[in-house]
Amino acid sequence: MADYYHELGWRELGDGEQPNHLLHMARFLIDYGLYEVTFAEQWPRLPPAASIEAVENLKEIIIEDDSENNCPICLKKFCINEKAKEMPCQHLFHEKCIITWLYKTNSCPFCRYELPTDDKVYETFKIEKKRAAKRRENIETLHNSMFS
Amino acid sequence: MANIAAKRIKREFKEVMKSEEVAGGDIKLELVNDCWTELQGEISGPPDTPYEGGTFLLEIKVPETYPFNPPKIRFMTKIWHPNVSSATGAICLDILKDQWAAALTLRTVLLSIQALLSAAEPNDPQDAVVAKQYKENHELFEMTAKHWTNIYAGGPTCICEFNQKVQRIQDMGIDEHQARVALSTYDWELERATEQLFC
Repeated sequence: MADYYHELGWRELGDGEQPNHLLHMARFLIDYGLYEVTFAEQWPRLPPAASIEAVENLKEIIIEDDSENNCPICLKKFCINEKAKEMPCQHLFHEKCIITWLYKTNSCPFCRYELPTDDKVYETFKIEKKRAAKRRENIETLHNSMFS
Repeated sequence: MANIAAKRIKREFKEVMKSEEVAGGDIKLELVNDCWTELQGEISGPPDTPYEGGTFLLEIKVPETYPFNPPKIRFMTKIWHPNVSSATGAICLDILKDQWAAALTLRTVLLSIQALLSAAEPNDPQDAVVAKQYKENHELFEMTAKHWTNIYAGGPTCICEFNQKVQRIQDMGIDEHQARVALSTYDWELERATEQLFC
């Protein structure tokens, strides 16, 4: 049974912890289509800054070849032997450029790959978004298995 | 102006000038002042839309924190579109707000605004009146948009019936643009438009 709950993303309440009724109500309304929302509207502002740890752990690369590549932020060409920071999505930037950006928001300026943040509310929102997508997929699978 | 912003705009300016879209007459970019903080953009109305044949001018203001913050852009040419305010020219486009990314450039932004003209988002309107007409009376919306394109953006389609109605209200001493807004708002019903103007 533990696995069953785990699959649904549930966990046992801690000692003295109360269920989050507001969250359950919101889930109920969303799941049954009584409250139509797109999650993009729930986070209408720019996502928060990348976590300090994620920024510190960005890979440093020394530019070796004289390619045509430029830093997508300042649009200046990289020089040979110049240091650059690489995002996990493999996009390269000048250190100063990307850190200024990640201090503002957590995604790659080029492809929007998201780094983790230190913002608990935003991280919860991301988990909820994933959960809603999974739920939609499950309903679709169930629907197809019954009606196809 | 912060150095990085000015330097980047200079590089972008070159990029836009070299791009295919400029060669094809699709978009244009001009400097307004010497310190690279204000520019004027120009996009042509996309084919198979009511904006076809029109030329739309945009005011571009580059903040000191560019490219970490988006440029401020609005239509200077009046336009009838659900995502553009018919009064102020303010644009409702996600990449100019919360979806901005530092790798976007003036070229890609101008192309996105042009794409917005082909694919309106009436469910996320900037101008609620236009959006309502778009959804509830689409044919009339297209006619109105064509008419505005003709009058303000040099578009080719003259809709005589609309011109006559605007003239009739102008004859009552109302400003031409004000008359056009009232008529466009009230689905070109003379009586309702007049009533609203004189109430």
